[in-house]
Amino acid sequence: MADAVLHRDCYFSIKNIFKTAQTLIYAVPALAITANVTDMLASPLSYLVLFGAVTVLSVSGLVSFLMYRFRIHNEHVEIRSGVFQRAHINLPFWRIQNVKIEHPFYYRPFGYSVVVLDTAGSAKEEANIVAVTTEYAEALKSQVLSHQKSETSNTATSEAVEVEKNDTSHLNTLDETVINRRSIGDIVIHGFTNNRVWILLGAAAPFYDTLVERVGGWLTSKGLQLDQLVGEQTIAWWQFGLYAFAIVMMLMALLALLSVGGALFTFYGYTLSKTADRYIRRSGLLNKQEVSMRATRIQVVSAKQDWLDKILKRVNLYFEQNASLDHGAPELMSSNRLIVPSVTVEETATLAQEVLPDCNLYRDDYRSINRRYIWHCFLVGLLAPFAIAMTIGIVGQHWDVIAGTLAVTAAIAGIIVLRWWRWGIAEDGDYIYVRSGRVGIDYKCFQRFKVQQVVIRQSWFMKRRGLASVKFIMASGAITVPFLPEDYVWSLINKTAYSVESTRRSWM
Amino acid sequence: MELNEDFSNQSVADLPKLESQPMVDISPKYRRLNLLVTSIAVVVIIGILSAIRFQPFFELNHGLILAYPFSVSIVFALGVWSFVYHFFADPLIGYCLREQDISLKKGLIFRSLSCQPILRIQHVEVKRGPLMRLAGLSALHVFSAGGALHTFQIPGLEDDTAQQLRQFILDHKALSEGQF
Repeated sequence: MADAVLHRDCYFSIKNIFKTAQTLIYAVPALAITANVTDMLASPLSYLVLFGAVTVLSVSGLVSFLMYRFRIHNEHVEIRSGVFQRAHINLPFWRIQNVKIEHPFYYRPFGYSVVVLDTAGSAKEEANIVAVTTEYAEALKSQVLSHQKSETSNTATSEAVEVEKNDTSHLNTLDETVINRRSIGDIVIHGFTNNRVWILLGAAAPFYDTLVERVGGWLTSKGLQLDQLVGEQTIAWWQFGLYAFAIVMMLMALLALLSVGGALFTFYGYTLSKTADRYIRRSGLLNKQEVSMRATRIQVVSAKQDWLDKILKRVNLYFEQNASLDHGAPELMSSNRLIVPSVTVEETATLAQEVLPDCNLYRDDYRSINRRYIWHCFLVGLLAPFAIAMTIGIVGQHWDVIAGTLAVTAAIAGIIVLRWWRWGIAEDGDYIYVRSGRVGIDYKCFQRFKVQQVVIRQSWFMKRRGLASVKFIMASGAITVPFLPEDYVWSLINKTAYSVESTRRSWM
Repeated sequence: MELNEDFSNQSVADLPKLESQPMVDISPKYRRLNLLVTSIAVVVIIGILSAIRFQPFFELNHGLILAYPFSVSIVFALGVWSFVYHFFADPLIGYCLREQDISLKKGLIFRSLSCQPILRIQHVEVKRGPLMRLAGLSALHVFSAGGALHTFQIPGLEDDTAQQLRQFILDHKALSEGQF
């Protein structure tokens, strides 16, 4: 074990040197500019300063490495770190929600990794154990997880726990089965479908110049000279506009490519595997990522399909966990949402049933919301701007303004109608299903007893029509369904409250 | 066969109904406090505006002088709106503590009723601002895993009532069983 400790210490220092290097990289441009401006390089003093800076940074890296200590003791993870501001984290195993193992690219050739321990509490309590051997990381992980598995029967062992590698890694691999893999093709599709706005705008590019001319001509007829806005330059304003659009277009193509690249970067070699009580996502091109989520902690299963997904018949499936875990991490990295990117519809149904047995997302008995929802949206959101624009158009006899207003209103109205048409709710035993969306469709399913709080809301007008909105507050966020019959909402709420309070099942 | 006395199993058709539970009003002091605060705020803001407008020390910009009647009327209108709203809406706030959950109804135009099962409560706070302390009022904040956005808040409770509610929740067996 002493050998391992030595190795670990070595890699702490490598990590710190990396940190130092990273800091330096950010400083380089500033230094370079300063050097250029003041012609500092000529003086020998600057080399001295540079040398001093490098030394200070290296030493501080070394010191912070020396100050970093961790131990696994008595079913607690203890970490002491920091030079001037000392931090002492003491994290009992039972508080740990998720164990992630990350493989930063500079650790990968040497078989080292970082263990990230997530808690239900604040971000400050998140603990990183850096630069441990992958074997040790796996062993630690399975120890924490197996502790959770036998929470009730396990009594704390008092001696310092040095994980027995063979035993636990064996446990870790034996009962783990891969339930989904994503090919490179799937991931490329995912990259495209997740930046669809850009692609749409890019596809419209050939029409940009005519569009610009039309809009420009129209604005001129209204007495507005774009030339004046752009300034009196040697090129015509429409040329300028064209250049701008060309640049925007190229940027968008680049973004689409970036999106695919990003998807490959994050999801390359994607596997979703299952152990006795958890799901584990592994993926990543350079930095191998691992997110593991306990099956019982999944609050909501949601299947999202936007219009481009619909054309390609793909679905993004999410297993959503406690939202308070999200420390502002980017969506794909965050440990509170386990994503299965761009799966087919059949796979979605299978995977959803895997997590919530016998659930049926794609059912045909969704109860639609009341048609008055459309009127509500019209009256509340659309009427005032519509009336104002129409008045301006009619009073000033601008037929084009009237036509534009009508077109925009029609488009928004179409979206409202689609939204009404999509929105629905269904129940089936323990499950509540919510369908929503505008052009795309999202399906959500959750277990009744996991609800945190229920809210019924109705305006005075809805009351008169016997309608009400219901909101289920889950640990992963709120789910709302508006304009349902009042009686139905009351029965939903009463059943839900009864289910939570009588089953007394934990939501975690 | 031995019967488990703790066990109760009501039929689903006969669920306890949230819609017919009797609600307890919050303290009437809450409305009085709100009305007072609104009135004072309006008077103070208009007072400051007028003081600036009519002070003899320096000449005001012409635009500012023109803006004076508008800003005063906007402040006044907002004040009246807030006053009227509190006047009618505050008496409608009510709560109900049942064995297993706590409910709150509120709202004038948009009526809402939220129900928080005690089993899902993570922690409870009694909050008292300086003005509320003067009036002898407290607010009960109940946190669940639903996040800070969906904190369940009962405003305008008498201090004793708030403490009792808090104690009831803390002593509740659903929480002491170690469940979340």
